[in-house]
Formats: sequence, C-alpha cells, structure tokens
Amino acid sequence: MPFPILTSLIVVPIVGAILLLLVKDDEQHRTMLRIGAFVVTVLVFLQTLFLWARFDPASADFQFVERHAWIPAFGISYFVGVDGISLLLLVLTGFLTPLALLGSWESVHKHTRAFCMFVLLLESAMMGVFIALDLFLFYVFWDAMLIPMYFLIGIWGYERRVYAAVKFILYTMGGSVLMLLAILGLAFLHSTVPGAGGYSFDLTRIDQLQIPPNLQFWFFLAFALSFAIKVPVFPFHTWLPDAHVEAPTAGSVLLAGVLLKMGTYGLVRFAFPLFPLAASFFAPYLAGLAVIGIVYGALVAMVQPDMKKLVAYSSVSHLGFVVLGITAMNVQGVQGAVYQMLNHGISTGGLFLIVGMLSDRRHTRLIAEYGGLKNVVPRLVAAFLIITLSSIGLPGLNGFVGEFLILLGAFRWSPRLAACAATGIVLSAAYMLWMFQRVNYGPVSNQKNAGMMDLTPREWVVVVPIIAVAVLMGVLPNLFLRPIEPSVSRLVSRVQAGAPARIQARARLRSEIAPSFGAASQPPATSYQAPATSDQPR
Amino acid sequence: MTSLNAIVPMLCVTAAAIAAMIAEAFRSPGERMPIGPLGAIGLTGAAIASALLWDHNASSFGVVTADNFGLFVTWVLIVVGLLSLAFSGPTVARERLPQGEYYALMLFAIAGMMLMATASDLLVIFLALEVLSLAVYVLTGIRRDSATGIEAALKYFLLGAFSSAFFLYGIAFTYGVTGSTRLDRIGSLIAAQSLAPTPMQLLALGLLFVGFAFKVSAVPFHMWTPDAYEAAPPAVTGFMSTGVKAAAFAAFARVFLTAFEPLKAQWGPVLWAVAAATMIVGSVVGVTQSSVKRMLAYSSIAHGGYLLVALLAANDIGKGAVLFYLLAYAVTNLGAFGVIAVLDNADRPNDRVRDYAGLSNDHPGLAALMTIFLLSLGGFPPLAGFIAKWYVFSAAVKAGYTWLAILGVLTSVVAVFFYLRIVVMMYMTPSDQPVQFPAVPRIAGFALVVSAVVVLYLGILPTRVLNWAAASISTIF
Repeated sequence: MPFPILTSLIVVPIVGAILLLLVKDDEQHRTMLRIGAFVVTVLVFLQTLFLWARFDPASADFQFVERHAWIPAFGISYFVGVDGISLLLLVLTGFLTPLALLGSWESVHKHTRAFCMFVLLLESAMMGVFIALDLFLFYVFWDAMLIPMYFLIGIWGYERRVYAAVKFILYTMGGSVLMLLAILGLAFLHSTVPGAGGYSFDLTRIDQLQIPPNLQFWFFLAFALSFAIKVPVFPFHTWLPDAHVEAPTAGSVLLAGVLLKMGTYGLVRFAFPLFPLAASFFAPYLAGLAVIGIVYGALVAMVQPDMKKLVAYSSVSHLGFVVLGITAMNVQGVQGAVYQMLNHGISTGGLFLIVGMLSDRRHTRLIAEYGGLKNVVPRLVAAFLIITLSSIGLPGLNGFVGEFLILLGAFRWSPRLAACAATGIVLSAAYMLWMFQRVNYGPVSNQKNAGMMDLTPREWVVVVPIIAVAVLMGVLPNLFLRPIEPSVSRLVSRVQAGAPARIQARARLRSEIAPSFGAASQPPATSYQAPATSDQPR
Repeated sequence: MTSLNAIVPMLCVTAAAIAAMIAEAFRSPGERMPIGPLGAIGLTGAAIASALLWDHNASSFGVVTADNFGLFVTWVLIVVGLLSLAFSGPTVARERLPQGEYYALMLFAIAGMMLMATASDLLVIFLALEVLSLAVYVLTGIRRDSATGIEAALKYFLLGAFSSAFFLYGIAFTYGVTGSTRLDRIGSLIAAQSLAPTPMQLLALGLLFVGFAFKVSAVPFHMWTPDAYEAAPPAVTGFMSTGVKAAAFAAFARVFLTAFEPLKAQWGPVLWAVAAATMIVGSVVGVTQSSVKRMLAYSSIAHGGYLLVALLAANDIGKGAVLFYLLAYAVTNLGAFGVIAVLDNADRPNDRVRDYAGLSNDHPGLAALMTIFLLSLGGFPPLAGFIAKWYVFSAAVKAGYTWLAILGVLTSVVAVFFYLRIVVMMYMTPSDQPVQFPAVPRIAGFALVVSAVVVLYLGILPTRVLNWAAASISTIF
C-alpha cells in the first residue's frame, strides 16, 4: 500500500494538536508551543508541495485516491482524492496556515496552547473539505471546520467577537443543513437505481445518476444556498464583515484565504457538475448576484473607515468574480475562477497579515489613525504596496491573470455581465489605492505613529513568501494553470453535456457576438506567457 | 427456570436495589457505606445477563420478551444507570441525601425501565411504567427541604398520575375492542378487523397515545418537564431525561409499530403534527431560558421530537435510528448533566447560564468535556449527536417526510444557538467575580471522560453500533 499522503494531511495536524497537550500552557512554554505548532504546519505544507510534485498534471482524474469502507450499511466510505481543482487549494491551505500562525505570533497572549490547537484542527478540517470525495465525508469536514473557527473568533477576537462568532456559526450552519438533506436525497436516489448497489455517497457514482429535473432544481438550490452563504454571494454576505473584522489575524487570514474558497470550491465540485440542468437554469441569476456583489462590495469597501472591514468587503467583491467565472462554465471562466481563488487567498491573506502587523503596533485598524507611514516604516509599506497591487490585479502580479481569465470567460458567455463586472476592477483600484494613500503617504499626522517599528525578522518571514508567490503567480501562471486545466476541461464538458440547452445558447452567443475567441477547448493559458517566462520548465 | 430467563437482567437490578435498602437499614448513622458500587455490581450483572440473552429471543410468562430490541434498550439503560450512579456520588454526599433510599429508588426505577423496554403486554407495560414513575417522582423531590423540589415533584406526580389514568383507560378500551392485552394478539385482531377503524379503536389508540406522549414529554404534554428537570438534583435530572425517555420510547415503538401498526393511517398524521410541534417548541423556547437545567429540559423535549420523527418514519432505518439515537442522546445528555452535577454546589447551584462564565479558566478539562457534550447535542460532526440526527433525517427523507426533515434540521440550527450560549460563557466571557468552582470527584470525572470518549467513538466509528441497532430491530418488526 502506498503511503496515504492525503490522510496524513488530515492526521498530522490532529496529532500535532494532541502532542501540544503535553506542553504546559504558561509563560515559559509559550514560545515552545508556538514553534511546535509552526513546525507541524510547515510539515503539512511540505507534504502538500510533495503532493504537487508527484501530481500528474496531464490527467483529469482523481489522484492519490484512498478508499475505505466507513459505514458500509449506508454506502458511506472514507474516500479521498485530489484533482487539478483541489490540488492547489490544498497547497494554498498548507501555505497560509504557517503564515497565519506567524501573523498571530505576538498578539495571542492568553490560552496560547488552545489557540495553536484550534489552528491545527482547523487546518485538518480544511484539508478534509478539499480532499473528500464522499458527500457524507465532505459534509462532516464542512461542519466540523466551523467549531475551531468559532473558537478562534470567539476567544481571541476583538471587541464584538462573541456576536461575530455566533453569527458566523449560525449562518453557515443554517445554510448547510439543507445541503445535508439534499445529500441524503441523492443517496436515496442512488439506491432506487436498479443494479446500482443501494445507498451511496460516493461522488463518482452519484455523478452517473440521471437526476430528474425537478429534483435537480431543489437539490441545486440546497447546495447552492449553502455554498453561497460560505462564499458569500451578495445577499448572504452579512456575516462576513463581522467575522473578518472581529477575528484575530490568524482567523482572518484563514477565513479569507481558505474558508471562503470552500464555497466556490463546492460550486465547482458539487453544485454545477451534479445538477447541470438546474445549474444552467440558475446560472444567470447567480451570475447576476455575483456582479451585484462585485460592484456592491467595492462601493461599500470604499467608504469603510476600518482597514479590516475594507479588506473584508473587498473579499465580497473579489469572490464575486470567482462566482462569475464559475457560472460562465467555460474553460477560461472556470480556470480563471480556480486561479482567482488562489490569488485571493494570497493577496487578501497578505492584506490581513499586513493590517494585523499595523494593528499589533498601534492597536487600531482605523485608517484615520494612520498617515505618512512611508516615512516611518518604509519596508513594511513596500510590502503593503506590493500586496495591495496584487489585490488590485496589476499585470505581472497574480491578481491580473485570474481576473482577466474570468472576464474573458464571462464575456464569451454574456458580454453585458462581463462589462458590469469589469467596473469592479476599476473600483477596486480606487478603494485600495485610496486606502493605501491615506495610510502611507502624506505627513505623519499622528504622533503615535512616529515611533513605529519596521518589519521584524518574524514579519519578514511572513511577507517574503507571500510576495514571492504573488510575483511567481503573476509571471509564471502556466506553472499553476497546467495542473488545473485537464480537470477543468473535463468538468466543463460534463456540465455542458448535461445541459444541452445551454450549449446551444452559448454557441449562438459565440457565433453572434464573440466570434473571434475560437474553440472552447483551446487552452487559454498560452496567451499569458510573458516574455520573461519563455525558459520556464515545461 | 427457563421461563425466568428473560427477566434475569431486571432481577439483578432489583436484587441490588433490595441489597441497598437492607444495607441502609443496617447502617449506623454516620457510617460510610459503598452503596453506589452495590448498584454498579447489579447493573454489571444485568449487562452480562443481557449479553447472554442476545439473539435468544427469550420470553417469560408470555408477557416479557427479551428480544434484541428490548436488550439493546436494556443496555442503553444500563449505561444510563452506571453513569447516573457515578454522577450521584458528589450530590448524595454533599446534600446529605439518604444514601440507601436514593440508590434503591434509582435502581428500582432502572428495573422498571428495563421491564418497560421488554414488556410485550399492555398491562405489564403499565406496571413497569408505574414502578419507574413512582421511583422517579420521589427522586425528583428527594431534597425534602427544597420547596421547589417538592412543588415540582407534586406537579410531576399529579400530571403523571393523570396520564397514567389515560393510559389505563386506553388499555381498558383496547381490551374491550380486542379481548386481549397481549401486543401480538392485539395486532393480529386489529389487522383482521374491517378496514375502517371503529370509534372504539380510535379512542383506545388516542388514550394510549396521550399516555406515551406524556412520558416522552411530547408537546403539548411537556409542561411538567422543565419544572421537574429544574428542581431535581442534576444527577437525577440526567437520569430522568435519558432513562425515562429511553424506556418510554421503547414501549412507544413496540406498541405503535407492532400492535397498532395497522392503524398507522390514523395515528401517523397526529404523530406528524406532534413531532413537528415538539421540535419547534423545544428548540425555540429553549432559546429564551436562563437556567441551564431548564434549557437542557427544552433541549430534551426537542430531542424527543427527533425521536418521534424516527418513530413516524418507521422504515428499517427509522427503527434503527430510534435505538441509535437513544444511546447517543443518553450518553451525551447524561454527560452534560454530569458536568452540572459536578459543579452543583450547596451555596452556589451554578445553574444560571451566567454562572458558567470563566469555567474554562478554572476547569479547562471540565469546560472541554461540556463543550463536547453540548456540540454533540447540537449535532456537530464528528460527534455522536451528528450521526444520530443524520440517521433520523435519513429515515425521514426515505419515508417521504421531507418537510418534517427540513423542519428538523432548521430547528436543530435554532437549538445550536442556546447550546453555544453556554460555550460562549465558558470560554468567551470573563467571570464577574472570582468564583471557586468545586473540585471534581474522581469517579465522576472518570465517568465524564468515558462519556466523552463514547460520544467521540459513536461519532467517528459508528458502524458497529449501527449494525447492532439494525440487527436489534430485525427481530421483532
């Protein structure tokens, strides 16, 4: 039996958390606890890198598959695997968790051991969500993940932490319980198929089901509601600013960086491929909400006095792009969406880390309290600038590639929506740069800022990898797009095969409005090879 | 002796109860006597006896049937009994409760519950119901100097007596219609009679229904529950909320799914409405409570609602779900009450939600255990409560009760809110003034850890117990 590397992604953090119990939780051992947790997360990150290295980028199939019977009477199995869509999300999770721990290194003073344990448990559950291929298992991780996050926000958060934590958990749970029923419905549907072998929660088997349109309609609604709350799509977003603002830095980073991706991941992995007919019916509405979210999030972000809140609303806007790319359901759109999930994790995670650094120093997140930081902490500001630009989508940095692909995909589907969404890019430049300008330029208006410390060695360790990845993803997108592409192509063709009407509509659109974009199967990534990357390894 | 086989578990427990009474009689004042362990020995004997009876389908006197269904519930009751004994220690010692009486009553109640779970005759069910109810009435008011305790016990007794009368009338009418009190005969006679049920049959059915609904505290017969649960000592409350419920549900399932199965078209819609109302009232009213015990009383009402859903679904999954749910709920809920019992304190009852502020600082282990129990009650994976709820809702979805399932999951989200209130207090709210929580007695602490381990085991590796539950129901239904 080969080494169960995916299982170890789940198990290692849990074992690490249990081992931390052996260390006393007091002043002297605090650093030891932090280092212990950090080492565990780095270990997990190395595992995800190893996974990436061994991953066959040419295949669209699930790889590293492990399958064990769990509750055989119901056809529930421990069934995990990765494909191109989940692979890089695992790497992202592995990458962000140690950075999140570093980001909260100094600011967590009480219950350090519990803090480290919850971060590790959260990492384990997040990994589980991305690798689960059994719907029941997926739901278990999906819900289990709420608990550590709830504690992270509720214990170590800012002033209104309890409110934010409870709101977070109730919102997410309220959305997901209906998905549980839909999952049950799918399993029973599977058991009614003669010869299919009774109940099954196995994604690859449920994929084969012919689901009647009326059931697709309800099941899709249940799944999509759950994911839309998680993303969050426009009218369901109200938990997000509270949770993001009140969470400690590590919580915000993981919340924005990884947890939100679970919603969009769920749409790509489950909602669209399982219910293609319903998806094609709902896609325009979902896309409409996504575009509203893009513009609305950007406009609201613009007027926020609190940096964390601003970044939180920018997430609503950025994730609107991801949803738009998914609803377009063509190769460019979905590939861009997956890429943008990674980007958003890097850039928004980075922004939260930077804001955390500022608030560690000054214990405030209000933009008005700052000003002229460039003169005081030039290195920190430089890092801030690069991450801000990556979030805006400056060419050469990561954000550009994803947004461009998404808009391309969206344009091929519905030029009108794409046009509206594009305003979001302009707005994002406006609110981010305006915030950056107020915080960092001008004279040092507040004397409290005059004595601020520049980046400490620990903070260098935080910002350098983020910037490096942002640049890498901007100039070498193919490195990341290559493993994504086969899985996405297969997904798109499967969804299109399941929704014939949509293909016709799209074909008509293509011939009438956008004839120049060529066949859907053409790998779009080739058009982004910057000259500097011509020597990249193939 | 063969005819006695099926009642050996009850005999073990009864013997222990009598031994406890005799021990109390010979105890000189102030002498410490290990009466609790005596009960544990009796329960262990009962456990071994029921293990030996497994798959034998033994029957005694034609009215007690130790089939696998009854034995599974018997095991649940043994678990309930052992845990309750462990949690009772500190309360009994601190409140100076009469040891012998306390443990004897508890053991008699368990014997009654076991009889109720295995009885296959309506009169024996009634007998068992009275045995367990009388013991529990007294246990509710065992703190003789507590006015609320006496009030709650009296209220419980009066309402309980009332419902017993309903139940007895139901038996009488059933006998009048069918000429028998044996469940199998009633079933075949009702099935053989005309398709349209007679008014007499419906009357009998309705009266029995009310009797059971009272015992499982289904809305609108739940009024006694919060008062009785709040006033009784926490260990007793934990015992009542799990043991009585398990026994009552076992009998409920047996009577309605065997004898009255042919009339399901009549009782089905009523049960639907009662289950829906029970889930809604339990979880919504629970939100407004400020006493932890009252809150958990409403939570137990809500859980009764989920069990009713499983009972209503009544397919192969639903019947197994009742059993699994009873076990998961028993361990979880007793664990939660065990924590309350450990914290219960003469000068500070620690019953307000606010009293739990800062518990995680003083007793991190206890707070963590309580969190596990509360999250399991709320139905979070990977804990027992999640698998149990999932099992129930599977049954409901499969049987076509989709709306009931939707209502069930939504009310469980509402209930999460009040479970989390305690968690918020324990972890996220600093205490107003420094409080000294009492130290945790060793046995109770051990029992709490065992409960938590079982909750995790049932949540992560439920297969074995699920298979047992499935095997248990296949013998009778």
